[in-house]
Amino acid sequence: MSRLIETHRARNPRLFLFHGIVAAVVALLVGGLAYRQLFKTILYSERERMQNQRRVIVPGPRGNIYDRDGQVLVGNRPRFSVVLDLAALREEFRAEYKAVKANYSKLAAGERPDTDQMARIARASVAQRYLDRVNFILGRNEKIRAADLRRHMDKTLLLPFVLLDDLSPEEYARLIERLPVDSPVQVYTSSVRDYPHGSAAAHALGYIGANNDPESEDFGDESLRTFKMKGTVGRSGLEEIFDDQLQGETGGAIYLVDPAGYKVPGKPLEQRLPVQGRNLVTSLDIELQEAAETAMKERTGAAVALDIRTGEVLVMVSKPDYDPLTRVPNLPPERAFEKSGVWLNRTIQGRYPPGSTFKIITAMAGLRSGAIDPATSRSLCPGYLMVGNRRFPCWNHNGHGERDVVTAIRDSCNVFFYKYGLETGPELISAEAQRFGYNHPTGIELPSEFKNPRIADPEWRRQPANWKGANLPDGVWRPGDTANIAIGQGDTLITPLQAVCMVASFARGETETKPTILHDPNRPAQHTAPIGLSPSDYNVILEGLKQCYQIGTARFARVEGLSGAAKTGTAQKKPIELAWTIAFAPLENPQIAIAIVLEGDEDVAFGGGANAAPVAKAILEAWKAKRERPPEEKVEFKVKPPPAKNLKIR
Amino acid sequence: MLPKRYDQARPFATLGILLLGWLLLPLVLKVFTRATFFEIQAPLVVADSYAEDLRNFWSNRLHSKDELLKAGHDLAGLFAEYSYSTQQNAELQAEILRMENLLNLPPLPAFRFEPARVARRDFSGWWQRMVIRKGSNYGIPVGAPVVFSGGVVGRVTEVHQYTAVVDLITSPTFRLAATVSGDNRPFSYQGGLNDAFKSPRGAAEFVPLDVFATRTDPRRVVTSGLGGVFPGGLTIGVISSLESSGDGLFKVGEVALDERLGSLTEVTVLVPLNPEDK
Repeated sequence: MSRLIETHRARNPRLFLFHGIVAAVVALLVGGLAYRQLFKTILYSERERMQNQRRVIVPGPRGNIYDRDGQVLVGNRPRFSVVLDLAALREEFRAEYKAVKANYSKLAAGERPDTDQMARIARASVAQRYLDRVNFILGRNEKIRAADLRRHMDKTLLLPFVLLDDLSPEEYARLIERLPVDSPVQVYTSSVRDYPHGSAAAHALGYIGANNDPESEDFGDESLRTFKMKGTVGRSGLEEIFDDQLQGETGGAIYLVDPAGYKVPGKPLEQRLPVQGRNLVTSLDIELQEAAETAMKERTGAAVALDIRTGEVLVMVSKPDYDPLTRVPNLPPERAFEKSGVWLNRTIQGRYPPGSTFKIITAMAGLRSGAIDPATSRSLCPGYLMVGNRRFPCWNHNGHGERDVVTAIRDSCNVFFYKYGLETGPELISAEAQRFGYNHPTGIELPSEFKNPRIADPEWRRQPANWKGANLPDGVWRPGDTANIAIGQGDTLITPLQAVCMVASFARGETETKPTILHDPNRPAQHTAPIGLSPSDYNVILEGLKQCYQIGTARFARVEGLSGAAKTGTAQKKPIELAWTIAFAPLENPQIAIAIVLEGDEDVAFGGGANAAPVAKAILEAWKAKRERPPEEKVEFKVKPPPAKNLKIR
Repeated sequence: MLPKRYDQARPFATLGILLLGWLLLPLVLKVFTRATFFEIQAPLVVADSYAEDLRNFWSNRLHSKDELLKAGHDLAGLFAEYSYSTQQNAELQAEILRMENLLNLPPLPAFRFEPARVARRDFSGWWQRMVIRKGSNYGIPVGAPVVFSGGVVGRVTEVHQYTAVVDLITSPTFRLAATVSGDNRPFSYQGGLNDAFKSPRGAAEFVPLDVFATRTDPRRVVTSGLGGVFPGGLTIGVISSLESSGDGLFKVGEVALDERLGSLTEVTVLVPLNPEDK
């Protein structure tokens, strides 16, 4: 009986051990908790923060690129998309999942989709319901791509899921008017590059590419899990070289998320709006540019025009070109094989023998050295000149007859320049070309300019790589080589930009012109070394160029009511011929210099006067028309961009 | 019997249970309850509105004959003016129809005009919604635009048997596609949080960068007609300043709305004639 009654003594020794163990465990737990709470606070709060915060990086729109009058050459166009806020659909996902599960419950276990598959089916079904609503409003019939939705859920859950992209303004209007303000379907706005003038100046302006890793260092905590929206990066032209300025300032937000990774409703913990990049004002004149592009048609070549006073580039055409938005070459189907040349900016990367435009250099070298005396120097052109035992032809096979320096320039007589080039000597001709910067790149603010322009002379020929490269038996410079360089043939290679710089320098009576593609209304006039010709000698060449423009080989460049000077050229770059025209105007107060080069077809004669001069004329006509336009009709600078000072070149 | 202190908590407990019950109630029942409540309440609202009309009638009766004669003259003038406008409109409509036929264009959305008396304004959110004295008994559909002589009033959001609820243009839940008069590029207009004692305002977003508005040269904001709900050209308000949005892609600005929105007694519901225009 006594066993049925349990007695508890206050001090049961066996319980001491038990109490002790319990106390020790409790103490351990409390101690551990205290340790974590008191000494590991930072660590755990940091872990919690890392777990429930997410960073979203939004790149800023790029800055605009303007022409010198404030016309937008490259801007940003809003791109409207319909997006779905997945976090707001969680309840619907759950309900749909139950329905899907119930539907499949009738199937045998082996035929039934697994849990993940059913969840995906449910999500796609819900998303499709919302897309159907959008389809109804827009009259479309779009379908959800389950794989895209799945990828989005796995990788970029925090970002809205794009249902439809690049809506038209009408579609955008319909949606904002018909979708409830608090709908999970919303219209999202981003920006894409916009080219109001199409492919005009495509090579100079350049294009952009996608940047999957936009800069985000200066926003929020980098250690947070980050979702980055696609940014852009300049890949060529001004877009590339001024990428740092054009890049927008990255914005973003830090959101609170639940354990599943969905955004917790409410405002972000931290937010910074993206800011548009700095604008860039180029020196290009879109009116002249478009005139030149139209005149070039679909021919291959380049056209450059400079402001003679400041060196600012007014026109920069390289053909064939491409659509900078899609980067699809503008080529007719029969020329599709030329695609590789589409990306070449021929104005700064094209390597062309200067042809007869070089005769200006030869004439200056001859005049400066005394080899040419304007009063007495004459040559009788029978259509060729024998140099040694080799016959050097004039372009006019019937011969020009007697020519002095003025008429030789006017008619581009080869025989005159063979003769006086030989008397001047290759070293002086080469030195003269070097004075005008033909031996180094111009340094314009564009990427990939031809770095090694060359003037062929005895010293250049002596280098084994050069004569071997030209398949010559030795490095000996022969008189025929001098005759060749005197008329701009042979191994001398320049770019059209160098040619136009030479023209601008000559027009100013100086030797070098530093070109720039940035516009500064307060840019001072350039002044470099004087040309080193007596006024009478200078006027002799000028007279030749003037007559060439008026009645000579460059007469197709002449614009009624506009005085000017010009020189044409036809150069051989086997297997094609190149048509050159260089010009400047007005004669009495030179303001615009032009260089055109067109590439002919294989084995087809292609003269500079007939082919390139009309392009120069189109530019001069546009320039004259603009100059004569009453001030009130001039295009106003609609959006005043900041001055393009202190721009960093990449 | 419960102790006294629990007795005191009984009302709160009951309220809690009721709230819990309401929360757990299926959505269909909630919607039904709300609609029923509104329908029960509607005769009172309508009766109150009629009573106010009657009060206005008797107060108008107090005007002297001279005042009534003067008002009659003014009214006759207005009537003549509107008669002339109606004739002009008829001619313009005939011209539009002729052009549509000539150019083989689809007809513009057509509406039936249904004038309606304002029965109640929600004073707790004065600028947000109003109840009009016509509902499904007059064929008013959900989503129909509501206008007055000064432009857009709002959009019908709920339709009951004898009444309809109009979400006002000032409401934050109201959004439409607008344009600046003379331009055809749409941007977003949305109502905002409006104070009852201040001038009504809304917000314009995604305005193209080359649209300019200043205090000296304000621009009229009108419906775009592209959204498919409101016909184009209806006045929304006036915008007198635009500033660049943070990302530099657009401009944003505040739209000043018509002051009369606060004292409207009569509005017109535009009932689409073609169901597809809804």
